[in-house]
Amino acid sequence: MEETLAIFIASTLRLAMPLILAASGELVSERAGVLNLSLEGMMLTAAFFGALGSWATGNPVLGICCAVIAALAVATVQALLSVHLRANQLVVGIGFNILALGATTLLYRIIFGGLSREEIPGLPKLDIPGLSDLPFIGTAFLQQSVFVYVGLAFVGLIWLMLRYTAFGLAVRAVGDEPRSADKAGIPVLRVRYLAILITGFMAGLAGSFLSIADINTFTENMTNGAGYLALAGVIFGGWNIGRTIGACLLFGAATALQFQLPAMGINVPTAFLLMLPYLLALLAVAGVVGRLEPPTALTLPFQRGK
Amino acid sequence: MSALVLALPDRRRIARLAIPLGVVITSLLVSLLLIAISGRSVPEAIEAFLDGAFGTAFAFGASVNRAVALSMVGLGFILAFRANLTNVGGEGQIAVGGIAATAVALHGHVADLPLGLAVLLPILAGTLAGAAWGGIAGLLKVRFGTNEVISTLLLGFIALLMVYWSVQSTALLRQPQTSSATLPESLPIPPLTRLPGLTPDPESPLHVGLIICLLAAVATAVVLQRSTFGLRLRAIGLNELAARRAGMPGGLLLMAALAIAGGFGGLAGAIMLQGEQYYLKTGFSSGYGFDGLVVGLLSRGSAIGVLAGALFFGFLRSGGISMEIMAGVPAALTLVIQGLIVIAVAGSVILIEKLDKEPR
Repeated sequence: MEETLAIFIASTLRLAMPLILAASGELVSERAGVLNLSLEGMMLTAAFFGALGSWATGNPVLGICCAVIAALAVATVQALLSVHLRANQLVVGIGFNILALGATTLLYRIIFGGLSREEIPGLPKLDIPGLSDLPFIGTAFLQQSVFVYVGLAFVGLIWLMLRYTAFGLAVRAVGDEPRSADKAGIPVLRVRYLAILITGFMAGLAGSFLSIADINTFTENMTNGAGYLALAGVIFGGWNIGRTIGACLLFGAATALQFQLPAMGINVPTAFLLMLPYLLALLAVAGVVGRLEPPTALTLPFQRGK
Repeated sequence: MSALVLALPDRRRIARLAIPLGVVITSLLVSLLLIAISGRSVPEAIEAFLDGAFGTAFAFGASVNRAVALSMVGLGFILAFRANLTNVGGEGQIAVGGIAATAVALHGHVADLPLGLAVLLPILAGTLAGAAWGGIAGLLKVRFGTNEVISTLLLGFIALLMVYWSVQSTALLRQPQTSSATLPESLPIPPLTRLPGLTPDPESPLHVGLIICLLAAVATAVVLQRSTFGLRLRAIGLNELAARRAGMPGGLLLMAALAIAGGFGGLAGAIMLQGEQYYLKTGFSSGYGFDGLVVGLLSRGSAIGVLAGALFFGFLRSGGISMEIMAGVPAALTLVIQGLIVIAVAGSVILIEKLDKEPR
């Protein structure tokens, strides 16, 4: 029983990790007033280029670098369009998701050909002699891919940045009161631009986590909605980083249960478990689980003097 | 002299047409370049594309049917957008429409009903289900102030999983499992509940959904341009507080706008089911909702714009599928083209806005 629980915790953490990475990055953008539906596309792009980089160089760390660069490129164009050109954020996001699905599928078939499931060099799992072998704690927390711990460090950095730095304050000001922020001398557009780049960076980590740390291969449309799930995590987390991480862990647990429950002989419809995150997020924004307010200027482009 | 100036066509009007057109043409040229780079024959690809989009009665009908579904979502979108509401939930509204239409069409004696009711009842059920789905977002907006972008998006994912659920469980809509190879799909709906074809040509899949769509487009244009309701939607979209002060039932209008948008999505779902697909399966809505949103947004509020955009995307998708089959160009390339076009057109909107602001 204890062993089952430990395995459950470990798989929850592993399944929640890409969501946590993507959601904490997306949180920064949304606090600054930009909703990136393109999160899904950024992750998929990163998953592909991470796999490609790792496969071509044989070095998973270089693979992650490729993933981050690719996701940052998507984020830059997203920012250029939705911040500078004031294009509709939702349409740009949908466009990128279509583009990313098409481009990664196309490149995958050209480069890897057909349906190859070529193994991609991945990151090692944590193995601290003595500690990782501990009966419960070891199995549950200390045998993950090293990516998990590095990723969590970046999430911690984002938390510190939002909470304690001038930039964090500027992000929140720009998302809630862009006009006042502008009058107070905060460069609204630049802050939003940077916020989107942070989202891109984290989405890069999240995407490469899927292809390098979790499965060690790329498959067509491998994100399969993980980006949208991360968006739901930000919403269910009430645009607060601690609660967002909690939401992602809960979503990860719901996914882990899908595999665990049938093994334990409990029959819950898979569809219900898959639906649960979105349902919870909806109930949360509807005010059933406490009052949640999105940033006031979410999805609204900023233009001085208008 | 001034008369001459007046006689000239308005530069802005030209620009409004020329900019999106230019963007589309540029994206298409880029796509041809991509095809050439990937080592396929460009003329062959073009031929396959045209053949698949317009070439045969079947291809033409399939493209138009696709456009019909996209138009319905797009029309609903521009109606809600008039009240400054962004309906991102087209995908889910199609899905619930499909579920409801399937459930009704497969129900006991519906197929035996006279006077066209066998076809109309499932359509009505789909429309109502979509309206309810949109209405939930409206209710949340009015009652709790929930941002409709977020609620319609989440409702969309819930609806997609409801389709998955209903075709996974025999207690819901899954066909009876006679063997382990029985697919997770519903039974096909009875022939009498299907939409009648539009042409005597048995090759052509074109169905009466086209007429429903054209009527809906006219109705939407009239409502938006000529009716009090349309005016009120605009008023509440421009300044909700002022509209409420002027005595308009603000909450009711917002709910109605989202419910109508959802109803259009549900209608699209019913038409897709009864016109072409005939049975419900996972992924039934396959991106039509998001494409429809794009069509709606790019049309800049005009019903004719919606029809034009929907036709464009309809032919693009059909032609792309044919390019894959006949010229070996991966269908993923169509997705690339479509994504590029969406992004480019969205980005070019600012050019039009700039022109609008120039002094005359």
